[in-house]
Amino acid sequence: MTAYISLMIAISLIGALIAFLTKTRQQARVVALVSSGISLLISLIMLSRFDPSVTGIQLDEIHSWIPSLGITLSFGVDGIGMPLVLLSCIVIPLTVIFAWGETKEANKFYGLILLELVGVLGVFTSLDFFVFYIFWEIVLIPMFFLISIWGGPRKDYAAIKFFIYTHIASLVMLLAIFALYFNAWQITGSPDFNMFHLLKNYSLLEGWLITNVITIKDAIFIGLLFGFIVKMPAVPFHTWLPDAHVEAPTAGSVILAALLLKMGGYGLFRVIVPLLPFSDSPGKMITLMAIIGVLSILYGTFLALAQRDLKKMVAYSSISHMGYVTLGAAALVPLSVSGAMFQQFSHGLITCVLFMSCGVIQHSAGTRIIGDLGGIAKHMPKLTFVMLAGFLASLGLPGMSGFIAELLVLLNSYANLPTFVILALFGIVFTAGYHLWAMQRAVFGTFNEKLGHIHDGANYEIASMAVLVLLIIFFGLYPNPVLNMMTATATPLVRDAAGLLGVIV
Amino acid sequence: MSFILLAPEILLTVLALAVILIGLLVSDKSKNMIGYVSAIGLAASLVMILGKTGEGSFFYNAIVVDPLSQIFKIIFLVVSLLAVIASIQYFKDNRNQDEYYALILLATVGMMVVASANDLLSLFVGFELASMSTYVLAGFEKKNPASLEAALKYFIIGSLSSALMLFGMSLVYGVSGSTNIPEILAYFKTAQVSGIDVLAMVFLVAGFGFKMALVPFHMWAPDTYEGSPSVVSSLLAAGSKKMGFVAAFRVLVLALVAVRADIQIVFAILAVITMTYGNVVAISQKSIKRMLAYSSIAQAGYIALAFVVMTQMSIAGGVLLALGHALMKGGAFIAVAVVGYMVLSDNKNAKNTDDISNFAGLGKRAPITALSLFVFFLALAGIPPSAGFIGKFVLFYSVTIEAVSTASTWLLVIVIIAILNSALSIYYYARVIRYMYVLPPEGEKIHEPLPYVIALLLAVIGTIGIGLYPEPVINMAMNAASVLGVR
Repeated sequence: MTAYISLMIAISLIGALIAFLTKTRQQARVVALVSSGISLLISLIMLSRFDPSVTGIQLDEIHSWIPSLGITLSFGVDGIGMPLVLLSCIVIPLTVIFAWGETKEANKFYGLILLELVGVLGVFTSLDFFVFYIFWEIVLIPMFFLISIWGGPRKDYAAIKFFIYTHIASLVMLLAIFALYFNAWQITGSPDFNMFHLLKNYSLLEGWLITNVITIKDAIFIGLLFGFIVKMPAVPFHTWLPDAHVEAPTAGSVILAALLLKMGGYGLFRVIVPLLPFSDSPGKMITLMAIIGVLSILYGTFLALAQRDLKKMVAYSSISHMGYVTLGAAALVPLSVSGAMFQQFSHGLITCVLFMSCGVIQHSAGTRIIGDLGGIAKHMPKLTFVMLAGFLASLGLPGMSGFIAELLVLLNSYANLPTFVILALFGIVFTAGYHLWAMQRAVFGTFNEKLGHIHDGANYEIASMAVLVLLIIFFGLYPNPVLNMMTATATPLVRDAAGLLGVIV
Repeated sequence: MSFILLAPEILLTVLALAVILIGLLVSDKSKNMIGYVSAIGLAASLVMILGKTGEGSFFYNAIVVDPLSQIFKIIFLVVSLLAVIASIQYFKDNRNQDEYYALILLATVGMMVVASANDLLSLFVGFELASMSTYVLAGFEKKNPASLEAALKYFIIGSLSSALMLFGMSLVYGVSGSTNIPEILAYFKTAQVSGIDVLAMVFLVAGFGFKMALVPFHMWAPDTYEGSPSVVSSLLAAGSKKMGFVAAFRVLVLALVAVRADIQIVFAILAVITMTYGNVVAISQKSIKRMLAYSSIAQAGYIALAFVVMTQMSIAGGVLLALGHALMKGGAFIAVAVVGYMVLSDNKNAKNTDDISNFAGLGKRAPITALSLFVFFLALAGIPPSAGFIGKFVLFYSVTIEAVSTASTWLLVIVIIAILNSALSIYYYARVIRYMYVLPPEGEKIHEPLPYVIALLLAVIGTIGIGLYPEPVINMAMNAASVLGVR
């Protein structure tokens, strides 16, 4: 038994509390950087102790909490959780560095960022469904404040919409968790909230929820799926995302897109894929997920193409990229699933660069409207360099991590979902289109004199973006460190699921 | 038979009488110490109840001490203790404060008698003692017309509900020939159901419904909670309302036997209407006390779900939510009292001190109060880890179990409505949170008086403590529910 995970969560929590209590901005940001830096260090130690060839949960720990309800504080990681823990511990320190210049209520700002780290780490490592849900909810609160205190003009609307929309989805998920828990209790005769225990007993459920309309199994499955895809978000439950992103401060957007959206994808791999073969109509569920995935890819792309606001465009591009995750998970081929996992990791890095670029441009030029910008490359050479790298990664340039992820998903999903993959391929053209078109109009071309004097991004901003770009290129050229552990976990997961369904593996 | 189990009640009764006597003897200036004496007395009773385990029945089985009575006594004592600690500041230098504290103590004794009542008569006496005292407390700010209106409304509706309840009881007595609850239960187990039984139950449900403020018996609650002094509202909403629940838990099991479960549908409808109405109306309130009143109506709707399924676990959930609500709502009203103090220290003649606009920038002006209120609001909305979440969790969960095991779709629909309601409630809580933390402050930072801070922190510790370590409390609630002998 090890205690890396609880140590990491505890340090982030303590760091957040200390940050809230600090008096000056300098103290707050140093506390945030040190605390998240320690988390990064612990996650790297975890990575070195993590054996990618083992398929099950590793580095696990268990502490008793509420025995009468069968609730324990149990944590652990496998190929699904470990990369996301690493991603969280990379993104948060870099966000702190990027937001080094924050002046408004700095102690709360950095404290809330650390609280977000607490929440996502808990979600990615909890093995107890109850504790998972608690962390799932904890994540909402700091983000609500990040949007509503540091946000843009329509921050109130965006913050409330974000909170209520995602909270309702979580409650639906909670209902489904209740049902799983009760079912397992009835079967084994003792309460236990362990995630794998609940999932294992799902197959023994039977009966109609509403006679001849929906079975209990399907209802639970859809409830869980709903909880996850709203978070991702997938079309048609995506409308909270553009509002939240447009109004959120840059650091908030970065955390939202890079980490919070990944919670939904994590849920797909951790919960939905293992349950898929046991639902009463697996074929329909796979089709449903594939439709949602492809719809998100295409609709997200087309909406991104139509945006005038650079940040909103990036927000829609997130929806489109997260569509690959749903599609890859639905295809149930080992490499498509691990590709989808890698897409989560890769998108987490890439989207940071994109949102950070939007933040720098907004700060420097005072606008993010693509049509009002133009030719800023001359005045912002450093930004242009990293931003271009980020945009190219986002459109899937070979040699960058996004290419590997999307290629794996599309190539391997074709075996089971050929029609959907062909449809998704159309998205690629337009993805390249809106990225390049936006770059061309906003960054290159002749300088728009109305913008007046604009300056390049601060060194700490460019530095954190550069680190991300280096990581994107590193994982684009050498994805094995994370891809191996993903494949090791995905292969048995998918073999079990697909074997029962009799689909091609 | 040892009366030591009744020591807490005896202590408080003696203390209440002593407080009146002391009030006559000491000068107005030294009356401030009475608050401390009362707080110590309440704390001592609480310690006695927490420390002393044991069961017994007294006075020809009219009063019982069992886990159910004890957990509700804990609720009442906690609420009164919080209210009294806050009152030390709120009624500081008031020349009538001796009467105030005596009334609070008597009200607490009344509630504790209700919790222990095992006989319709002791139940009624307890109800009346608590109600009479709180009628006066609601109107304690006698120069404030709103407070008088609150008291009058509360008095008239309260009397009506007592009359309905008493009539129901007399019918039950007429049919069964006894006022003792176990004997009545024994009678109904063998007897044929008649129209009179149903009528009796209708009157009892209506009588308790008024006390619990279930829709459509709720209309007194918003006016009363708004007009009363904030610390008294805290006592009313968090404490005396729970009287109705404990009485209903004890008596309506009887209904379950008497009229063979049909009553569950009635409660299902009442619960759904109550929670939805409470939450929807709370959204549009400008006065925070009114908003809290409607939110408390909604919470009563959730607790009423316990009657819908009437299993051991659902009753335990109801008890847990009642306990959580006592801490959260009691604390929230005290926080409103601090805001009132803050506004009045800016401007002596300020009206409507609980208007939402006064909460702007509270995070900067009164950080401890704002943080406490933030915790209470999230807990009321059912966000983990908090007492509110644990209560809702056990309650909703018990209804889900019942729905799945009896394959009843309508129960499941009710749970879904309850959960959606709980999501809806976030909207109006978040609105106040936004005022507190997002909007700029409209005045200087104030010094938060120590009694308020102590009361708030105690409530916060209780709220989060139960959320983080619910095991002992869940066990207590399950024990309490086992007393009723339901599944």
